[in-house]
Amino acid sequence: MTLSPLLIIMIGVIGLLGAGFYGLLVSRNLIKIVVALQVLVKAALVGLIAAGNYNGQINLAQSLALTVIIADTIVAVMGIALGVQIRRHMGTLDVRELSKLKG
Amino acid sequence: MLKLFLLLTIGLPWLGAACIWLIGDRRPRLLHAFAVAFSAAAGLSALAMLPYASEEIAISLPLGGIFGNFSLVADGLGILIAAIASVIGCLAIIFATDYMKHAHQLARFYALVLFFIGTMSGLGLSGSLLLTFFLWEITAFCSYALISFHNDDPKAVAGGIKALIMTQVGGVGLLAGALLAYAYLGDYAISTFLAQAGTLPPGVLAVIGFSFLLAAAAKSAQVPLHSWLPDAMEAPTPVTALIHAATMVNAGVYLLARFYPAFAEIPGWSTTVMIVGALTALLAGLMAVAAGDIKRVLAYSTISQLGYMVYAVGCGAIFASQFHLLSHAIFKALLFLAAGAIITAIDTRDLQKMGGLGKKMPFVRLAFIIGSLGLVGLPIANGFFSKELILEKGLESGPLALYLVMLAGAGITALYTLRLNWLIFAGEPRGPEPQHDGLPAMRVSLGILALGTLTSWLLAGGLGNMFAGTLPFHHIEAETTLTVAEHIFSAPATWVAMAVILLSGALWFGRAKLAPLGRIFEPILVHDFGFEWLQTQISRLVRGSAALLQHTQTGQVNWNVAGILLGLLAVLILLARGISS
Repeated sequence: MTLSPLLIIMIGVIGLLGAGFYGLLVSRNLIKIVVALQVLVKAALVGLIAAGNYNGQINLAQSLALTVIIADTIVAVMGIALGVQIRRHMGTLDVRELSKLKG
Repeated sequence: MLKLFLLLTIGLPWLGAACIWLIGDRRPRLLHAFAVAFSAAAGLSALAMLPYASEEIAISLPLGGIFGNFSLVADGLGILIAAIASVIGCLAIIFATDYMKHAHQLARFYALVLFFIGTMSGLGLSGSLLLTFFLWEITAFCSYALISFHNDDPKAVAGGIKALIMTQVGGVGLLAGALLAYAYLGDYAISTFLAQAGTLPPGVLAVIGFSFLLAAAAKSAQVPLHSWLPDAMEAPTPVTALIHAATMVNAGVYLLARFYPAFAEIPGWSTTVMIVGALTALLAGLMAVAAGDIKRVLAYSTISQLGYMVYAVGCGAIFASQFHLLSHAIFKALLFLAAGAIITAIDTRDLQKMGGLGKKMPFVRLAFIIGSLGLVGLPIANGFFSKELILEKGLESGPLALYLVMLAGAGITALYTLRLNWLIFAGEPRGPEPQHDGLPAMRVSLGILALGTLTSWLLAGGLGNMFAGTLPFHHIEAETTLTVAEHIFSAPATWVAMAVILLSGALWFGRAKLAPLGRIFEPILVHDFGFEWLQTQISRLVRGSAALLQHTQTGQVNWNVAGILLGLLAVLILLARGISS
């Protein structure tokens, strides 16, 4: 099996996805969780662009990617803002201690 | 016109519920006025539908996909249910303006009651199996929320949850039947199902028939799924009169009557229905004799009367069962509301603390006695005609043994009704002085219902006509009221039943001699023949599994992410396998 550029990029995407999910699974700090989420979305972006390039619709892929970047920025901003408020009210960023909504 | 009235009957109470919810608790007078206005308007529009009854689909809302078409059909059965729900709903709300005068959170109360009235009308008028299921579940939810209305009382909360769980058992049956029918016929329309039921494989039809029977038994509190109804008596009394006597508990009988033509051919189905009905009528009647709480006696008597209706459906006497449903809705609502007036006047439900109330509360006594006449089935009250019709059909087309059971049930009905009246109104006062003889709004409701109890049997001819004209699958013959009455008075079954009723009335006066016998049976009756245990186990099982599942709700982000990942993985694997095969 030859290593085509697409394959190399896809391996990178899967690696990034894995890193992002790993971060989501193990980190307890809310800031770290937001960072892991960012890594995850960036992996998806790279995958999107690579897929668009592969089937010749790079324009579509780029505009989608731009949309995702904007949505993703909002998610990051909201996540960090929530983190700041949580830190202020609860004095901690450890998600294990933030289980007040537990049923 | 029909479309407009249909939408008004269902939509007005829902709109009223939304308005009342938005007004909130700050203006109680406005709440009372709104609730009465909306429910009265809904009642009028339900009555206005009567001349337009037809078997055609009136409104169809195509949802597409597996939801099919949600349709509304204003045929005889449907209009009957809608009219009972909205008219008695209106009277219960008028009663509640006095009964709930000093209660907190009135907005929640009225919003739920109105929401229930609209849903119940919709349930009757629905022409789609799936829509029927959805509305069926909403009525169960309203019933639960209103039983637990006083949510600081642990008994009320427990009763509500028990009712919810037990009726869900039935809901599962209804959903299973509806989905099975859809799988084989590709359509949820009830008319399609009734027309093509014969083309289904017999085994499948039997499964559908028995799961609908399960649904009906749970909803209509039939043995062995009945004990949620006595526990539902913690609800405010107008709610009990409306939901747990006049409407929601009838939904099961309605379901059986609606689908009777499809299931009548299933071997053993009719017999099972008859046995369930007869057992319920007998056992619940016996339990009513021993109950010591005015509302519980009435609850057991409701169960027992529902048994009569189920038995009638089993005999194929659809008209008789629906006629008794109408009579029962009126006289039992009257009895419950009168009981509510007594409860507010002396602030207790314990029969041992009543007695001698007749002199202080002549109006309520009159209303209660008229209701009792209906319940026992003495001539001039509506219960006489409908019950005798059922007994007569039972003698004609059912096994003799079950007929004798029903006859004994009629005698027991007379016995516990006499006991109830005696303990409340006769003898020396054993408790507090009554504060009033029915407040003004209470008297309005009681008066109208008492009048209804004495006269609603005149509707027999019209009801039969409407059924004959709009239910093509049921093959009901129309008879005029006069013929029905003649028929009943000339039938020997009627006079046998009268003799049994008189005999059991005599039993009450010989009660001193029968006391030792009573002491032997009392423990069994009070403990509900052991059914209570069964239902507590079911209830405990459901709660236990819910508590177990609760552990998966850790509230921790990491676990949730893991869950999402696993779910994604499962979907991917499924997709990959689907593509490769």
